[in-house]
Amino acid sequence: MSKIVEVKGLKKNYKDFEAVKGVDFHVESGEIFGFLGPNGAGKSTTINMLSTIVKPSEGKAFINGFDIVKQKNKVRSSIGLIFQESTLDEKLTANENLMLHCKFYGVEKNLREARIQEVLEIVDLTDRRTNVVETFSGGMKRRLEIARGLLHYPKVLFLDEPTVGLDPQTRAHIWEYILKLKEKAGITIFLTTHYMDEAEICDRVAVMDGGNLIALDTPDELKRNVGGDILEVTTENNEEAKKLIKATYLTEVKELEQVLSFHVTKGDEFLVEFIKTFNIPIKSVNLRRPTLNDVFLQLTGREIREEVISQKDRMKKQLRQGRRGH
Amino acid sequence: MEAIYAIWQRDILKFFRDRTRLVGSFAMPFMFLILFGSGMSGAMSTMLGGEGASGPLSDFNFVEFMFPGIIGMTVFNTAIFSALSVVQDKEFGYMREILVSPMSRVSIAIGKVLGGSTVAVFQGLMMLVFVPFIGISISYMTIIKLFPVMFLVAFAISSIGLLIASSLKTAQGFQMIVQILIFPMLFLSGALFPLSGMPAWMDVLVKINPLTYSVDMFKKIIFDVEQMNPVLVEAMGLNLRIFDHVITFTEEVVVVTIISIVFVVLATIKFSRAEA
Repeated sequence: MSKIVEVKGLKKNYKDFEAVKGVDFHVESGEIFGFLGPNGAGKSTTINMLSTIVKPSEGKAFINGFDIVKQKNKVRSSIGLIFQESTLDEKLTANENLMLHCKFYGVEKNLREARIQEVLEIVDLTDRRTNVVETFSGGMKRRLEIARGLLHYPKVLFLDEPTVGLDPQTRAHIWEYILKLKEKAGITIFLTTHYMDEAEICDRVAVMDGGNLIALDTPDELKRNVGGDILEVTTENNEEAKKLIKATYLTEVKELEQVLSFHVTKGDEFLVEFIKTFNIPIKSVNLRRPTLNDVFLQLTGREIREEVISQKDRMKKQLRQGRRGH
Repeated sequence: MEAIYAIWQRDILKFFRDRTRLVGSFAMPFMFLILFGSGMSGAMSTMLGGEGASGPLSDFNFVEFMFPGIIGMTVFNTAIFSALSVVQDKEFGYMREILVSPMSRVSIAIGKVLGGSTVAVFQGLMMLVFVPFIGISISYMTIIKLFPVMFLVAFAISSIGLLIASSLKTAQGFQMIVQILIFPMLFLSGALFPLSGMPAWMDVLVKINPLTYSVDMFKKIIFDVEQMNPVLVEAMGLNLRIFDHVITFTEEVVVVTIISIVFVVLATIKFSRAEA
């Protein structure tokens, strides 16, 4: 495996605000690489820098061996981009949209016909080829955009929130196509998402928060780091139960909407023991494997969230003062 | 080259697909020519020679006079509004698809200007369907001469349009600026009334207006000025002068060409600086 994307100390400042605070990572050729984080974490800014849309303030990055600042056009030929918002020409047909893309990217004339056929097959839109895009549903438009992004055989396909605003069924379909792509075309897929379940599908996940990269590993490894399983209980007396759990098992207990949750090792054995010995009446109990959601909670926790909020407030204050000053 | 062609082709494709725009583009010139032109012609002949004027001035036909101006107006309107698509592409997101591709920004800008020019020339030529109703006759030679001049004018104006569009983010903003620009330029171009006996300050505006030379070129091609009575030529404002120098057709071509080059360069620079 080779490094198809290499990022070294990439930074982006907007005036006083640091959107991305210097990130280092690489993406292996052929993997699905996910960027996970809340809105405003710096995911899109990083993708925009990598795809030559935004100029980095500091640092370096290479895609397919090309410098994203000095070799813009080479980078642009090497990547496919699917944005959060649609960038199709809705007045034109699917075929016309694809044909224009071939011309924009200099796909050779005698290859165009076959390529269009090929990408339409991947996303199951062959029968809609001559229809005007205006008549497409949201999911179909997404699929057409994915097809278009593949036309010039990019080495890396960037998907910025590929399923945002779609219904669950369509979301599942889009994912089928993305996985099919990985198998068939063998290209590298680089995506951002704030859906935890989507991040689970990735080979590796980078967790971003407040402009920093705070973790990078396979979803399984990230979850293993959380430690064992998670036990969720509701009891007759949560206050007492909390104290008791803390005292007996020496662990942190979180309470969310009347549900107490804590980490345990070897959850199945622990559960039997727990129910037998716990002397506050239990209303319900649930043992589950940790999800990326737990990973994210553990990594960022409360404090980092608060900081994000206060940073926003600070910006607002500055804006207000700025206005008064003029 | 392929990039310029692709951008151009998209504009042409969209123009012919939009039936309302095709039909609508006929409405304005038609109204000007028939309603305004016919309505004003009575008043015009009264002003020129009084009731029952004799001699050369009785040959003055206002609708006929307006016709080259209407062609100019059509070319001008279509060319400048073609740049609206640039702003719309920004609003609807397609501009990102264009800007993140490996095409050079210069090719994109040139493709846009050529697309707008082509559509404008087509619209201008369409105006010739009014010829039989106006009662003038034009030869094939006239059409062959009109074609490159129309293209030159359309190219200059499309470039001005692209320059404006590159600086703006919303379609409403663009429409407002262009409206403010269009009316004074049209009124001071000689398209709608003869440019004779104007106040000095207005005369200055007329002479710096690129449309003046554009419209005058159309007039010189459509009317056989040399065969006309000098009195009539004077009344119709067909002898454009700067400091007593009568401007020739060749000079006008040079002026409009220079304007084209200046604005296409400015528009390309402005467009190239756009972030996706």
